Amino acid sequence: MAHVSVPMYWRTIPQRYRMVGQRCRKCDAVNFPPKGVCKYCNASFEFDEVKLSGKGKVHTFVLIGAGGAPPEFAEQEKAGGMYPVAIVELEEGPKVIGQIADVNPKDVKMDMPVSTELRKVYSEEGVIRYGFKFIPEELSR
Amino acid sequence: MKKVAIVGAGQSRYGDFPEKGIKELFLESYQDMVKSVDKGMDSRRIGAAYVGNLGSGGFQLGNMSALVSEFVGLPYIHTVRVENACASGGYALISACMDVLSGAHDVVLAGGVEKMTDVSGVKQKYWLGVSGDTEYERLAGTTFAGLYALIAHRHMHEFGTTREHLSAVAVKNHKNGAQNPKAQFQKEITLEKAVKSPYVAYPLNLFDCCSTTDGASSVLVCDAELAKEFTDTPIYIAGFGSSSDYLAIHDRINTVTLEGTKRAAANAYDMAGLSAKDIQLAEVHDCFTIAELLACEDLGFCEKGKAGQFVEDGHTQIDGDRPVNASGGLKSKGHPIGATGTGQAYEMFNQLRGTVDKPARQVRDAEIGLIHNVGGSGGTVSVSILRR
Repeated sequence: MAHVSVPMYWRTIPQRYRMVGQRCRKCDAVNFPPKGVCKYCNASFEFDEVKLSGKGKVHTFVLIGAGGAPPEFAEQEKAGGMYPVAIVELEEGPKVIGQIADVNPKDVKMDMPVSTELRKVYSEEGVIRYGFKFIPEELSR
Repeated sequence: MKKVAIVGAGQSRYGDFPEKGIKELFLESYQDMVKSVDKGMDSRRIGAAYVGNLGSGGFQLGNMSALVSEFVGLPYIHTVRVENACASGGYALISACMDVLSGAHDVVLAGGVEKMTDVSGVKQKYWLGVSGDTEYERLAGTTFAGLYALIAHRHMHEFGTTREHLSAVAVKNHKNGAQNPKAQFQKEITLEKAVKSPYVAYPLNLFDCCSTTDGASSVLVCDAELAKEFTDTPIYIAGFGSSSDYLAIHDRINTVTLEGTKRAAANAYDMAGLSAKDIQLAEVHDCFTIAELLACEDLGFCEKGKAGQFVEDGHTQIDGDRPVNASGGLKSKGHPIGATGTGQAYEMFNQLRGTVDKPARQVRDAEIGLIHNVGGSGGTVSVSILRR
């Protein structure tokens, strides 16, 4: 099943909570989410931990509507209508997917600057999953 | 070097068949294949079977290829389930080719089967989410429609691709599928209806998405030197190629290109000694309308970013200069995941032999055709080039 189990989630907490990525010791590029081998030089598996700023801009986005939401997100769609999911290009280089919160879906734009906050993502198996969401830069505290 | 020929091909009807499970569906396609072998076939000649399949009714089932093989009368052979998500069938065909080329077996079955409608709607989405990047894409709240929507939106932003361009793919494929007696949806749709259907994952709407389908397909391949023992009109596999890519779209070098398609096609063209301009018709992986536009570009049928116009201008219609998805494609014919790739081979086998079941769908005098099968949002891709 495609759902993310508690142990599977638990192993990625540094990424979900603190956006911990890897700086490649060979080519200096930043990998996020982590890879076994640097995806930029494909020649090194030695990294230093780096905490990303969480700032970036919207590269592309989708508004998930009825029928397009996975079952564990159906409640969110039902309660709040369409929700935006974006691929954001982070300041440090990598792109990453995440939801955009605190915004009217109609106001999401390409290239919109965003920052990152820790939010509730969903709950399943009686456990609330927290993780990063993107917030439009103009609204960020 | 050895060559591989296709000497028979069969397909079950695609759709929703409560009375049929994976065994019965596979049997329907297998018997249809046996019937298509002009000079007849002794099943004892089949030394191996490669069966594409994602899951059996939404669940894992060990040894499924042995099960469906023995059910159709093929016990005691080398049989393997091939799983590369929606590209399982395309890879099953390539595995069969590699088997023949290696000299291990000289007559081999490639096929696929999927039973998708036994699963409730909620389970369906849990199940079908498995072929993307589960840890990040799924946890952001997307299913496949959402992932292809991310690609579509960027494509629209970079190249000016329009709502109408996307819907033009759906309208064309439903028009073709209406002429396919084995298709799931044998019904034309208007551009207006396609454009105005409700959004599932903006910018993609309901008519941009293929459905869930029960179905199976079977293709008989052999060492080309033996082909004439089965038929006077074999179809040759001139080339094949495949390539994986990063699973998550955010990890890829380019959001609006399926690198897997480009590389798989380059390998197939190279093996066949052909280029994109030599391809007269194609069956491509249109799980979503945007996927057909990407395929036209990444296979080299038109320039990057220009596929919307290319489709709107009619090039890919059955009477156009490069018909694409004359079968109705995944969109209208249906997409029984593991069966889709060898189902494309079934269509192309008949197109190139001039034996398509309905004349309205027959592309005239074609000699060279390409089939293109994508797993997930591009994590795996297979391409094969068939030649009369």
